[in-house]
Amino acid sequence: MLNKLLKYDLKYMIKNMAIFYILSIFFAITTRILFNMEQSVIINIIGQISVGCMFAMIINTLINTIMRSWVRFRDSLYKDESYLTHTLPVTKNDLYNSKFIQTLIFFFISFIVVLISLFIAYYSKENWLAITNYVKTITTGLNMSTSFFITMAIIIIFLEVFNAIQCGFLGIILGNKMNNGKIGYSVLFGFITYLVAQSLILGLVFVYGLFDSSIMELFKTATINIDVEAFKVLAILSSLLYIMIIFIMSILCKKELNKGVNVE
Amino acid sequence: MSNMKLLEIKCLNKSFNTKEILKDVNLSISSGKIVGLLGKNGAGKTTLIKLINDLLTPTSGEILINGKKIGVETKKVVSYLPERTYLNKQMKVSEVIEYFKDFYKDFDAEKAKKLLKDLDLDIEEHLSKMSKGMQEKVQLVLVMSRKADLYILDEPLGGVDPATRDYILDTILSNFNENASVIISTHLISDIERILDEVIFIDKGEIILQSDADKLRNKEKASIDEIFRRMFKC
Repeated sequence: MLNKLLKYDLKYMIKNMAIFYILSIFFAITTRILFNMEQSVIINIIGQISVGCMFAMIINTLINTIMRSWVRFRDSLYKDESYLTHTLPVTKNDLYNSKFIQTLIFFFISFIVVLISLFIAYYSKENWLAITNYVKTITTGLNMSTSFFITMAIIIIFLEVFNAIQCGFLGIILGNKMNNGKIGYSVLFGFITYLVAQSLILGLVFVYGLFDSSIMELFKTATINIDVEAFKVLAILSSLLYIMIIFIMSILCKKELNKGVNVE
Repeated sequence: MSNMKLLEIKCLNKSFNTKEILKDVNLSISSGKIVGLLGKNGAGKTTLIKLINDLLTPTSGEILINGKKIGVETKKVVSYLPERTYLNKQMKVSEVIEYFKDFYKDFDAEKAKKLLKDLDLDIEEHLSKMSKGMQEKVQLVLVMSRKADLYILDEPLGGVDPATRDYILDTILSNFNENASVIISTHLISDIERILDEVIFIDKGEIILQSDADKLRNKEKASIDEIFRRMFKC
């Protein structure tokens, strides 16, 4: 049944997100066209407006993916629509997994749309060279390959976002358990969950630092002169810890859902 | 067939904070009955129905459907009509039909389309463009187009005009099989009285009467509506 739930969750998201994707790419194209035209004051002003609109849409795309996921989760499990959701012959685990997977897929799509928009608006050989040179400077300094650096950066960004999204889900579950339907409690619990998760990750890195002096140095020094090896270890360690926290939180969410709901 | 009841509720309690909404509810319903769940506003009818449908969690007690605790298996055989509109309003009626077809093996899409046509409802229309009454009709059609063991209808006549009520009652009567049971919760007792086999009176969270409708009428020499008015006189 998970695939069927996912089908409808994805349909819902595409209906709501499509407009942001289209506008983001549309303004990227207009930006590209306007900056390739012969420049005049008017064209320049319109071009700047187009850039502003494109970045607004890019930010909207990313924020909306997360916000829509939370809204969908709350509506589907605790608002009017929950009268259908909870009476479907599906397990609570499937309900949760569907919402989580839907969010992962759409954050990935949104990320790609952002990259495509930026590519359309700004790609040129010179810009590409400038970016690769900039990344190379960093990776040379850190003594790591470019592919490793980019891969780790993307993984950590995604894990951080998934962690935040899941904190929101747990916040919604706990908030509704404490006080039916009142959004304030969900926000509060989501925020607390996020702080706890972050503190836990930091705490575990600190514990690891007790056995690895290069990591412990990160806690002791305020300078940016991070040991290169320590940076690599930190990137891998924090990724593993994020995965662990996300996994634990997913179990907590499902456990709470399986205890039953109280829909208004 | 064994003596297993279709629906069995044992020592069911439900509280919200310190307020007791349902107190020690015990009842059982056999197959092939149309049961009226009757009570004043706030008596606990909807709470009881929501507990049977897993929308609320009992404080204590047990609910069994075909001998099974509430879960995936029981949801396969229960068709529930809530008292509110609950479908995703971004969807078209035809999409909702597909949705039901996907999730309920016992859903008869052709029957749903026929019933919708009878009610002059356009399956290509978005729910958001429909009035509340029309949405309620769509929901009723979807619920009655399943071949479920237990239909639970919470205020099915509440939002519809009197002219449509008879059609709805006929739809209910003609669209459930003889082994299934229907629980109808409503204030409009006189409208549904003619179809009831059994009645359950609920007051202040307690079941105060469960009886065969004809036996009760003969015993009290009055209609169910009159008996209800007498019992719940303010």
